[in-house]
Amino acid sequence: MLAWERTSWSNGIVFRSLAAVALITMLLGGISSFVIRAQVVTRDHQAAQQRLSELLDTVESTASVATFANDDQLAREVVQGLLRSSEVLRVVIYSGEIELARAERSVDANAIQPTVLRPLFSPFKKGQVIGRIRLDANWDEISRRVAANSRNAVLVLFGQLLLVIAGTAGMVFLVVVRPIKATSDRLHRLDPANGGALEVPEGHARTEIGRLVGDINELTGRLLSTLNQERELREQQEISQRKYQNLFDHASSGIFVADKNGKLASYNPAFVKLTWLPRSATSQLHWLTDTGWDNSEKLLELLGRSADQQIACAGDFLLRGRRGDERWLHIAVLPLGDGSMQGTVTDVTERKRDEISARRLAVTDSLTGFANREGLLQAFAGLNAKESEALTVIMVDLEGFKQLNDAKGFHVGDQLLLGVAGRIREGGQAFDFLSRIGGDAFVLVVSGLSDQEALRPRVEALHEQLRDPYVVDQESIQIGVRIGIAFFPGDGVDMPQLLRGAELALNFVRESNRSAGFLAYKFFEPQLQVVVEHRRRLEDELRVAVNCGELRLAFQPIVDLNTGTLAGAEALLRWQHAERGFISPDVFIPLAERVGLIGEIGRRVLDEACRQVAEWRRDGLDIYVSVNVSVCQIPDDLSPEIILSMLDRHGLPPQAVAIEITEGVLMSDVSIAQRWIEQLRAAGLRIYLDDFGTGYSSLSYLKRFPMDTVKIDKSFIVDMNSSNSDCTLVETIITMAGSLGLNVVAEGIEEASQLALLRRLGCGYGQGYFFSRPVFADDFVAIARRINSESGNFGA
Amino acid sequence: MKTLRYLLLALLIAAPALPAGAADWVLIANPKAGIGHLSQDDVTNIYLGRYRRLASGLTAEPIDLPGDSLLKARFYRQLVDKNLAEINAYWARLVFSGKTRPPRVVASEEDAVQFVARNLDALAYVDKSMVDARVSVVFSMSE
Repeated sequence: MLAWERTSWSNGIVFRSLAAVALITMLLGGISSFVIRAQVVTRDHQAAQQRLSELLDTVESTASVATFANDDQLAREVVQGLLRSSEVLRVVIYSGEIELARAERSVDANAIQPTVLRPLFSPFKKGQVIGRIRLDANWDEISRRVAANSRNAVLVLFGQLLLVIAGTAGMVFLVVVRPIKATSDRLHRLDPANGGALEVPEGHARTEIGRLVGDINELTGRLLSTLNQERELREQQEISQRKYQNLFDHASSGIFVADKNGKLASYNPAFVKLTWLPRSATSQLHWLTDTGWDNSEKLLELLGRSADQQIACAGDFLLRGRRGDERWLHIAVLPLGDGSMQGTVTDVTERKRDEISARRLAVTDSLTGFANREGLLQAFAGLNAKESEALTVIMVDLEGFKQLNDAKGFHVGDQLLLGVAGRIREGGQAFDFLSRIGGDAFVLVVSGLSDQEALRPRVEALHEQLRDPYVVDQESIQIGVRIGIAFFPGDGVDMPQLLRGAELALNFVRESNRSAGFLAYKFFEPQLQVVVEHRRRLEDELRVAVNCGELRLAFQPIVDLNTGTLAGAEALLRWQHAERGFISPDVFIPLAERVGLIGEIGRRVLDEACRQVAEWRRDGLDIYVSVNVSVCQIPDDLSPEIILSMLDRHGLPPQAVAIEITEGVLMSDVSIAQRWIEQLRAAGLRIYLDDFGTGYSSLSYLKRFPMDTVKIDKSFIVDMNSSNSDCTLVETIITMAGSLGLNVVAEGIEEASQLALLRRLGCGYGQGYFFSRPVFADDFVAIARRINSESGNFGA
Repeated sequence: MKTLRYLLLALLIAAPALPAGAADWVLIANPKAGIGHLSQDDVTNIYLGRYRRLASGLTAEPIDLPGDSLLKARFYRQLVDKNLAEINAYWARLVFSGKTRPPRVVASEEDAVQFVARNLDALAYVDKSMVDARVSVVFSMSE
């Protein structure tokens, strides 16, 4: 509020308005008095002239009579009469040229006197001039009178003006000044903060003053509310300012404001701590680049980019401390719009280290320290068929590693892998790149060599090296090694193609080892691709076959070797392809496993086998059926519940069905397989262990898993004769099984001598071409009859 | 009646044009006085008191008829175009100063003729028919 100053009287509105009125009135009065004066003078003079003229008019006829009659007496009467008017100075009447009469006043005439000269006509003859009368005006007198008149007029005028001034002043005072003064005084005393408002002076509700008061009230109201709002706003601002100040001071992130050149305007304690900003004692002025950035140009570039494009930018920057320590800081800057930038700084050293190590991990095999698949692909991502040097990709795979891992545990598997890796690394051969791309798959890359013959000795040497037994936990482990090789650029123009080529070659080695013979390694050849494609087509056809019933069951009799009678039948799946003819289970079962059809096939097989054996049993053929179950079907595809419900549906007792499993089942998840087997056995089903003697056949399995029967693989039986080692092995198995309370089924009996030998060794059951090849159900009954009828001359 | 008014109007209009022709009076003087001929101005000046002396050095005394005389009215009307009231008013102003007298008044035309016959300087106006050897005509409006 402004201090109230008392208005001095000369500044008061009363004085000013009155002075203005007086001044203007007087000015106008002065001007008009001049005009009036001039008018009065002129009018008075004219009036004097007029009066004189009229005076003459009154005496004219008498004067003309006197002149006509030359009567000087009468003429004298006339002039004396005229001189009685004070405005007349002198009168003379001439008759012709003779002065007839004269009268004059004895005064000093200063002014030039206007004279009225009038001819006198004969009273009896018109137009005849008989004399003249001359009248001199008393100008001094006239002037005196005119002056007095004009003075009076001016005085009257000024008197009127004074009255007008007084009236106007009074009205102005009453109508304008007083209400304004009253309003002004009230306004001075007014305290709008307490809700006071001005009163409208009485009678001024509709005048300008009333409106002014209304406007002032409205204005004060608005001012007051604006002030209140502003105060609230300021308080809120102060509160949020304090909040932000607290945040700023105590934030764990560094916060700064800088210009695009990195000149710091402000920053918080955390910023100093994070950036190791030197505390300058001499100057408060700091630059963002004052501290030990690894790449301060990049930081300035970030600031510049953010400022130029008005966008938020962020980046990670390495900071090097004076003691050689490092820190990664994430800096995010945001343009504030006034040319400066606000930035936040957070310590991301941990994350950065994690990232780096993760990146390293991502391309590294943590076990062996070799590159992993990703690392291999990255390292050779830039392969170019035209420019890159020739390469050889060698893929090494360990045979049966998975089973070993399952059987012995990962620890043993890992130790074995480490052993393999060590031999590769230190085996005296220089490889240009070492990687482990999967569980037991190593990929080695040799540059420059692309000649099979040149490579062969190296591959063979490698194979030899890796085949030597490994010692793990003081146990010697021997493991097969398979190698597939592909050349760049001949076999593929990029690493994925080369890997697939090498893998195809490797698979070829694996499969050929499984079927027959021994192969250490294989160079990729296009034919392998054809084989793969053939297999894929086969897969498609298998799906069709399952649905079209091309898969049929054949049954091979199992004979009780003691009685020669038929004990049961092994159900074997046959695929009679419409075009290709007979396809071996060895081919299509793995296929079915791979493409996920094995579950459905398995259920169909079991269902059909049950249906068939139930039919036979109804016909009086009291036999059981044994069904092969793949490791893939355990435990869910053929859960004990499914099997039992199927038996139930066909009205079979549990002993009518035997389940044949391979060692693979036992080597997978031990506890699951164990529970599955136990559930089936508890339900009364018999469990056969198929292909016993191949693979890792271990007696400990027999001890651990509750089997009923082992089936000796036909490879032992075929080569068996009374003097060789196979015979000893078979005998051992039979003896051992006997001691464990297990039955034995010998597979692949083809000759009578083998049958005789097995019977001598005490083998309980047998099957093979000697009795019958697998036949379809239609033919089986006849075979069964034949076997049972021959049983009479059996035992001898 | 109408016809008479028009006649009067015509007379009034024609009167100034025919002053002499219409006049039935003449101014007479004593033949012995030797006054030859007087102008109308002379007659006016003498009768209305401007002067009473003739050019020949003779004094002239105008004789007037009584106020009720029709001829008197006709005389002044034809001479100076004034009625008798105006003539009387004129004389009233001059008589007041006492310097000039109005003409002597005789009782009748006959008296006027006799007066002229007896007085050498007298002048009088009479009807034409009154003129005889005793007097001579010095002015007539017909001229």
